[in-house]
Amino acid sequence: MAFHLDADKRVDLERAAAIVTDGALVALGGGLSARLPMALVRELVRQGRSGLHVVGSAHGMDVDLLVAAGAIDVCEESYVGFEQDFGLAPAYRRAAETGTITIRESCCATILAQLRAAELGLPFMPVRGVKGSDIAGLHPEYGEVTCPFTGETLVAVPPLRPDVALIHAPLGDRHGNIHLDQPYVLDERFAAASRDVVVTVERIVSTEEVVGAGVTIPAHLVTTVAEAPYGAHPTSCYPDYAYDRPHIAQYVRAATAGGAELAGYLDQWVTGTPSEEAYRKAIGEERLAALRTWSASTEAWKELFA
Amino acid sequence: MSFSFDEWFVVALARTIRDREVVFHGFGSPCAQVAMHVARHTHARDMLLVEGATYAVNPDPPFIPPTGNDLALQRGASYRMRFEEFFDAAVRGDVDRMFLSGGQIDMHGNTNVTAIGPLDRPKVKLGGGGGGCNLAATIGHLTLWTTRHRSGRSLVERCDFVTDMGHRTAAGSREELGFTGGGPEWLVTELGVFDYDVDGHARLRQVFPDVSLQDVEGATGFELRVAGDLRTVPLPSSAEIAALRAIDPLGVRRSEFSADELARTFTHGDGAGCAC
Repeated sequence: MAFHLDADKRVDLERAAAIVTDGALVALGGGLSARLPMALVRELVRQGRSGLHVVGSAHGMDVDLLVAAGAIDVCEESYVGFEQDFGLAPAYRRAAETGTITIRESCCATILAQLRAAELGLPFMPVRGVKGSDIAGLHPEYGEVTCPFTGETLVAVPPLRPDVALIHAPLGDRHGNIHLDQPYVLDERFAAASRDVVVTVERIVSTEEVVGAGVTIPAHLVTTVAEAPYGAHPTSCYPDYAYDRPHIAQYVRAATAGGAELAGYLDQWVTGTPSEEAYRKAIGEERLAALRTWSASTEAWKELFA
Repeated sequence: MSFSFDEWFVVALARTIRDREVVFHGFGSPCAQVAMHVARHTHARDMLLVEGATYAVNPDPPFIPPTGNDLALQRGASYRMRFEEFFDAAVRGDVDRMFLSGGQIDMHGNTNVTAIGPLDRPKVKLGGGGGGCNLAATIGHLTLWTTRHRSGRSLVERCDFVTDMGHRTAAGSREELGFTGGGPEWLVTELGVFDYDVDGHARLRQVFPDVSLQDVEGATGFELRVAGDLRTVPLPSSAEIAALRAIDPLGVRRSEFSADELARTFTHGDGAGCAC
């Protein structure tokens, strides 16, 4: 919320992730298989964060991995899963079914209204839908309001002010000016409504380069920026790389099996790689380079999804 | 020309779109996604197609990828809406149609994509509703679909959890709740096509030719109402099949079907018309 005016906001990934405290209300940027803040997610797991309350629109491996690592208490995303491709989110599903996380499922449009209330400094925002849906029953914080002009009764939702938003972007400068490619999903709204905004970028570049590409999130909204190449992997960060479908399949298999297999995945790719540099090395230069070949031709692009 | 059931199903979905409609699909919905592109390349050339997770307007993707949020789904679009632009348009009533599915769908078109069983200890935690519980209130018309009707667990007397409201819930009717959209207009399943009668109750209008009324009755968990003029689902045209194959070379639509359904194949006889 309050503007962040430090001239140089560059930190390493460890310090960036340390802004997220146990029990924090965390907004996750990106959506589905694109630009999920995976380097930050892995670092939170390495640092043993717990008790998080996550909120966002439609998410996948970020939430599932945090659940698998026992970092989440409350989940307020509108969707968590791997779409029709790999189906239900295995760790999320298991935790919901055994009652180890609290499901406070929300709706993209409701979350948007709540973020706008926070941005405007207003005590609530009305929404026309939600009534007639059992989603309302998961949110005792919702109220009702009667319009003073038309007499209509609408659902009133309170402001949503995340403690911290975690966002991954292609480019940023040392001041925290950030360029995103579309879709921005809720990232702009999260940046404006959250107390702290932690951004990882593929590359920290000159201000001129970010301005040339277009500033999507201005520096004054950003608390800190860390360089994390392939920081969205195995999700995509266009124009740099497509998503790593075989790696996501590998994760889903391990998470579905649970137990030793899931522990093995976490050990191999998260806790067992003490840094993102080690993670990139474990994935392999060749594989990472292959994910950049999407732009060579339609055939090459299709090949990545086969 | 031979075609497989998944192709016919997608064409049946496409035909619920009228020309000059503004149409949107949710994510994780390859059949609906492909259907929108088929419609735009055949009978609904002036529709406004909004991609479900990229919000790209009228893109011409080189192929449909297995994820809804991919750059391929923005290719050829002259404009990408921002998240807020799309949701604002939808909640104020400027979006005409949305495709919506559900693990459970009841007689009034209420859908459940949240959980099977009680939510505090669900038997199956489903993915969740995305933007549905607001969008279903204000978007002009909903086309519902399921590819799991035959399981007997999809079309149910009562949803364990109502994520997105159809025509009526315990809370009241759409009118009573002040909802401005028309609610479910069509329900397309792998057995047939339903519309909704004046009570807002599903009514079977068309069946696929390899499906009997008894098959539908046995798989439907609520009272089966059947239209007086029940007929078979009209065959897809060769133009529709060609458009579909061009837009979905990876066959992502097939991920929604069981192997048994994919094995259903059909051949055009004489008199197969062109729906263009």
